[in-house]
Amino acid sequence: MIYAGCDLGILSAKVAIVENGDILAFEILPYRSLPRQAAVEAMERALDKAGISAKQVDYCLSTGFGKKAVPYTDDIAPDVMCLHRAVRKLNPRVRTVIDVGGHTFTAFNIDDNGKITESAITDKCAAGTGKFIEVMAKALEMPLEELSEASLSSNNPLRITSQCVILAESDVISYVNDGYDPYDIFAGIALTVADKIAGLIRRVSVNEEVAMVGGVAKNSIVVRDFEGVLGLKLADLVGVDPQIIGAFGAALMAEEERPAS
Amino acid sequence: MVVAGCDIGALTAKAVVMRNGDILGYEIIRSRAKAVQSATNVMDKLLGKLGLSYADIDYCVSTGYGRNIIPFSHDNVSEISCHGKGASWLVPSIRTIIDGGGQDCKAIRVDEKGNVEDFRMNTKCAAGTGRSLELMAEGLGVEVSQLGPLSLEASDPVVLQEPCCIITEIEIRHLVLEGRDSADIAAGISDITARRMLHLARNLGIKKDIAITGGISKNVGIVDCLERALKTKLVQFPEDPQIVGALGAAILAADRAGNLS
Repeated sequence: MIYAGCDLGILSAKVAIVENGDILAFEILPYRSLPRQAAVEAMERALDKAGISAKQVDYCLSTGFGKKAVPYTDDIAPDVMCLHRAVRKLNPRVRTVIDVGGHTFTAFNIDDNGKITESAITDKCAAGTGKFIEVMAKALEMPLEELSEASLSSNNPLRITSQCVILAESDVISYVNDGYDPYDIFAGIALTVADKIAGLIRRVSVNEEVAMVGGVAKNSIVVRDFEGVLGLKLADLVGVDPQIIGAFGAALMAEEERPAS
Repeated sequence: MVVAGCDIGALTAKAVVMRNGDILGYEIIRSRAKAVQSATNVMDKLLGKLGLSYADIDYCVSTGYGRNIIPFSHDNVSEISCHGKGASWLVPSIRTIIDGGGQDCKAIRVDEKGNVEDFRMNTKCAAGTGRSLELMAEGLGVEVSQLGPLSLEASDPVVLQEPCCIITEIEIRHLVLEGRDSADIAAGISDITARRMLHLARNLGIKKDIAITGGISKNVGIVDCLERALKTKLVQFPEDPQIVGALGAAILAADRAGNLS
């Protein structure tokens, strides 16, 4: 039996195709304004990579911001449940999960029996999300991957003080005009983001091990600074792309709901 | 005598060239990351169009971002003073100017000579600015220039509550997924932007005649909302309202050049 999960986020569509609990293929497709089309295209690409046709998918669940808009899904699954299933499967020692997506923070605790205890979700603060980082990278006119790698060696991070994304962008532009090094500027942005995420994770209990998922978890300098702020090492998710955890979890839940008989 | 004004905004750079008290020409370009680049690009383009060279300019005043580092300018003046001068020169009856720039939103009161009496400006939040409009347009999946015309077609405008444009962008994406009419969403964007601008203007104290300048003035939906709330027509400028700051700089340049000779 083959299962699929689609996590339609605010900035990208993620699809994972799963067989016997293993990922056959996945796809991450950033989009600007057409979420439905992005969900369809991400699925087509993932199917292509897996070398199967849509008909071979036995059951599909969708999750994320646009879960109800995924045209091919069989049903929807709650975001936190999907993250929980996937993280449990990848690393059962995890007790705290934080998901930092394009616009939303989700944090929750898992007890020793694998049950979700506390959870907190906020979409009322954009400082620290993928959107914030994306806007700042654009202001620096440099690719995000390059910035997050090269900024790791900055010794002089420049602090951004504005809470407002647009005014922070304005601070960045002023720094650029004053001739500061873009990697020092980005290192400052990473610190701001890490502080913000650390503030939000404290809405639940910070029990180790802590896993960070979502697109921002791929940003190496933010991860390093976040570990520094909390004084811990983030949990290993056995190399699975942190951005597809939601989609992977949706596919695992699909398998649970319609097990092979 | 040929004078020039150059207004480097966060999003656009504007230049105006005047000869003996008449506008010879103007140019508006998208700003670059560095103010000097923006200033040089816009002035090169304008001079090229007019068949002039830098040597032909007797005096140049710069304003806006990085106004003190523009290599070809002789002096720099705050954008608030320049807006006052420019608006008053075009329409002397103006007493209140609401300026919606790229990253700031200002309300300015001027006397009959265009001198600034008092002003208010956003400091912590970018609601009511061009950049916030751009982000909201991105959420709706339309060009920022389409927002105004679209909002006039609304039959049942949405009411957006949150001043923060990043949070509002997410709310807009939800509305799009729910299938709300784009025109109704565009009208909601006009309404919340106008409310923000009015908040500043009322705090300052509004005297007639009232004008709107900056890129935001090109949004007919916002102008319509402002006129309905203020129960009066806004001043129609004989020139592009986005060049008012650069024009004011050119007028101040003429003043200064006159004093020099």
